[in-house]
Amino acid sequence: MSNPVTPQRPSENFEPYEEMRRIPIAVVMVAVALALWGVALLFQSSHAVAVGQAEETVQSPESEEGLGLTGARLFASNCATCHQPGGEGVEFAIPPLRDSPFLAAGPEVTVSILLRGIDGPIRVGDKTFDGHMPSFASALDDVEIARLVTHLRKRFAGRDQEVSHAQVTRLRQEFAEAGPFAGGEALAARFGSGLAPQPPAKPSPGGAAIAPEILKLVDKGRGEVWSCSSCHGDRGEGADTVPRLAGLPAKYIAKQLRNYADGSRQNENMQLVARSLSEKERQELGLYYSAIRTPSTARPSLGGNLERGRQLVLQGDWTIGVPGCTACHGPSAFGVAPSFPGLAAQHPAYTASQLAAWVSGRRDNSPQKMMNVIAKALNDDDRAAVSDYLATLPPVPATASATGENSR
Amino acid sequence: MNQEERRVVEGSDSPQQRKAGEGAKRVIFALAGGAALFVLGSIAFDFGIFGDSGSRPTPNSGDERVAAASYFQPPDESSIPDGPDGDAIRRGMALFVNTKTNASEFVGNELACANCHLDKGREPNSAPMWAAYLIYPKYRSKNKQINTMEDRLRGCFTYSMNGQGSPSGGPPPPGHPIYKDLQMYFHWLASGAPVGETLPGQGYPDLAKTDLGYDRERGAQVFEQHCAACHGSDGQGQRDLNGKIVFPPLWGPDSYNWGAGMARVNTAAAFIKANMPMGQGGTLTDQQAWDAAAFIDSQERPKDPRQTGSVAENAAANHGKDTYYGKTVDGRLLGTGTGS
Repeated sequence: MSNPVTPQRPSENFEPYEEMRRIPIAVVMVAVALALWGVALLFQSSHAVAVGQAEETVQSPESEEGLGLTGARLFASNCATCHQPGGEGVEFAIPPLRDSPFLAAGPEVTVSILLRGIDGPIRVGDKTFDGHMPSFASALDDVEIARLVTHLRKRFAGRDQEVSHAQVTRLRQEFAEAGPFAGGEALAARFGSGLAPQPPAKPSPGGAAIAPEILKLVDKGRGEVWSCSSCHGDRGEGADTVPRLAGLPAKYIAKQLRNYADGSRQNENMQLVARSLSEKERQELGLYYSAIRTPSTARPSLGGNLERGRQLVLQGDWTIGVPGCTACHGPSAFGVAPSFPGLAAQHPAYTASQLAAWVSGRRDNSPQKMMNVIAKALNDDDRAAVSDYLATLPPVPATASATGENSR
Repeated sequence: MNQEERRVVEGSDSPQQRKAGEGAKRVIFALAGGAALFVLGSIAFDFGIFGDSGSRPTPNSGDERVAAASYFQPPDESSIPDGPDGDAIRRGMALFVNTKTNASEFVGNELACANCHLDKGREPNSAPMWAAYLIYPKYRSKNKQINTMEDRLRGCFTYSMNGQGSPSGGPPPPGHPIYKDLQMYFHWLASGAPVGETLPGQGYPDLAKTDLGYDRERGAQVFEQHCAACHGSDGQGQRDLNGKIVFPPLWGPDSYNWGAGMARVNTAAAFIKANMPMGQGGTLTDQQAWDAAAFIDSQERPKDPRQTGSVAENAAANHGKDTYYGKTVDGRLLGTGTGS
């Protein structure tokens, strides 16, 4: 510097001070760039929020009918999966809704069928079906059922008549303890001859009763090993991360127990239990749980996006290589025995924990490693969405047979 | 002190002016530099230099999924219009996925269009209908004629849907509304597709022959390992508890007949390689795909409706080389049909 240092005597009252140094220009540049980035981000997200809000207003069924889902929407989610979007049913498997005499009869017929389900032969039009229809009592509330029935009767039977939720409430109380209708004959007996002639109900499957030792395993356990129901509930309904077992294919349950026993599926508690069981006991426990028909206790609990979940479950997302769950687990996720368990009404925390286990490889016992591949293609949000959506579905209409074949 | 004095003497700016000028310069530099950094950063991000950590993991082999982005995208189902045309599109879609119910008079097996044209005819490389719609009418060596889309669909009903086993005993007659509705659906799927060019993803991608050739014994093992969980060890598919087909039967009386394209080993191999197992397309080796196809297509199935004389005569007239039609496997002549 040109300023020569002049030896100066520091003044008596010198105070130390810090020289102001300029902020290097590069740092300022970075700061400016960050500021610009922030502004850009704000702008972008405000735009996205605006778009999102607009979409929500367009898509949200709330805005269409004030509260809850519309009848058409409930139909698409709950009925069309089996009865088809056009209500035409499936040849030899699922009765048509279009022009169905059951819909043309009073609204109480449809409401009752939805509340109780059907488990037996039923004649619709000129065809007979071996009907296994779920009960929607635990999946839909009274307002939803009223709305759905109004929609169904208007669309497929030309009956333009508003069904009140009070009517549903009344029938729900009446049927609180009733199981499924044993087919068309039981419906005709309850609601009048207009629905006859109907095929006779099948005799309830005798024989193959559940052995008392098996019931003891379920209720009391054995020795050091606790009972099934202590975690899975009295009716195999499960809770939280403990799976619902009611209505799962018998052979699937037996296989899981086998896999726990040989270590190819991991869970400390279940491995301990499974090792204490004989192969025969595993199979009979499978039969026991497969035949239970019990209401759903599952509710969405993971904050998943139900719309995305619905898409993944019903259609899949082929852009990420994921077919819909229903492509393998059956049209309403009721399962396809023996390898594909029902997913409907499963507890979301359990479903999500299994999907995570497929991703990490901790669970690895699906045929073809199919589930590992699919679970990996989903991100965290997708897994929550799928799990939550499945919890909204009605429970598997377990066939009351104890033959071990969940499929016919 | 003396510095400032000097500058004043030299007649330059006042100290205040100079200070202000330097400040302005710094501000300009900082803004310009900041803006430049921001632009550079955005460009770098766009080129993916930072790695797009927010994106999903790719499920299948990388190149396939990258290519997926370049396929034609058919419109979303929610965009099907209201009104008579939308109704026809919806009927066409219902025919496509639930064929036996909606065309019960003309379907003689348990299959649906969507069994071989995945994702309701939308999935590239599984003979998507948005691509097929664009290439008809065309000449086909199968019948040595110009074929319209309706002609082609009649072929599907005749062979793949085994029309001879249906209540009417054949495909829908010419001009039937079923053809119109299906074509309305295809036309809608192809909305906005470029005309006059072959779209990537059309048909099933040809699968080159392997050195080993194909072998039904090896195929039996591939089938048991990779196919049987869904289609069953007996190849008859699986149903849900209501009896609805979830996995289609691959041979036997409820499957496609000997005249179907899928009954040719090369066609089946191409389909399998690109699309099977479901959601895991491209994971089998070429050899496995050929062998599995050979195993499936060397099983008996409904007879070829074109057969008038003997199987051998029909084999010479209508069947090429990549088929087991007219061959004897395990002491049994294939092509005689399943008797239904």
